[in-house]
Amino acid sequence: MTLRITHHDSDRVPRFVLLAPVILLIGACATIPDDAFRLSESALETRQLQTREYEGVTEIEILSASSAVLQDLGYALDEVEKELGVLSASKRADAKNAAETAGKIAMDVADCLLTIFLGCESDSFQSSKDVQDIKLTLVVLPDLDNSNAHTVRVTIQRVIWARNGELYDQETVNDADVYQAFFDKLSKSVFLEKESG
Amino acid sequence: MRILIVMTLLVLAGCATQTAAITAGGSQVELRQMQTREYDTLDKRGTLRSVVATLQDLGFVIDKADYELATISATKLQNYEIRMTVIVRQRDGDRLSVRANARFNEKPIEDPKSYQDFFSALDKAMFLTLHKVD
Repeated sequence: MTLRITHHDSDRVPRFVLLAPVILLIGACATIPDDAFRLSESALETRQLQTREYEGVTEIEILSASSAVLQDLGYALDEVEKELGVLSASKRADAKNAAETAGKIAMDVADCLLTIFLGCESDSFQSSKDVQDIKLTLVVLPDLDNSNAHTVRVTIQRVIWARNGELYDQETVNDADVYQAFFDKLSKSVFLEKESG
Repeated sequence: MRILIVMTLLVLAGCATQTAAITAGGSQVELRQMQTREYDTLDKRGTLRSVVATLQDLGFVIDKADYELATISATKLQNYEIRMTVIVRQRDGDRLSVRANARFNEKPIEDPKSYQDFFSALDKAMFLTLHKVD
């Protein structure tokens, strides 16, 4: 039994060594995806869900209403450029999702059982999500057709970290509900800003 | 073993040409050319706003924006990371030049196609801005 395993292992090592340069080649010289700088087919749809129009308020009023909302949501402002209507903010938040974490733990346990002989107690549950760094940009643009109106576009990205400190995922948030929730809060804030101003 | 050496050489050769290109003669001019586009306008604000709008369209988040220095820095996160810096400068008194440079993960992008794609997206946004000015 033991002999057979040893034989198997010695068979595998040279194959891995042969593969290593290929993996290096792919990893080190990874090419840029074709669509990295191209508008995707869903670009218009994405733009719509990330954009709202506000009438009868100034750019500055929208920017201050936005920073108030971001403060409400616990963001720190990283960059404000009122000349260009740009505002960037970020926060670190919990990324744990009960259902996902449970699934991940189950997988880790299964992994653990499979590799029981190698010892895995330090690795268990470590690959589940832990925290996420969220970065948000809000841009106010004067409407080209209506001088009294401004469009507000928000884009959100996040980096999710696993409990073992490794990168879990990085993505642009495209969930319509997230943007809807944000704009609901912003609309209220713009209204308050207008009233108080 | 021989295969291993050949493969390792291939890896080294594949990556070496990319780094060598940075200091090789003539490539500096080429790089600037592919990274730069000129527009017949003096509307710095409109140009910068078009750059920001284009970057947002392409899925970037703005890290820094400075009107005075006319610079924009942005990041795109997908399964990869692209960082891009755009600088707008006045040229010959009647034109603005837009220069963009980007890196893909840890490597500078030196492939003309990426910049062509970026500028063709920017052209569309600039078209709207310029026609607004007229």
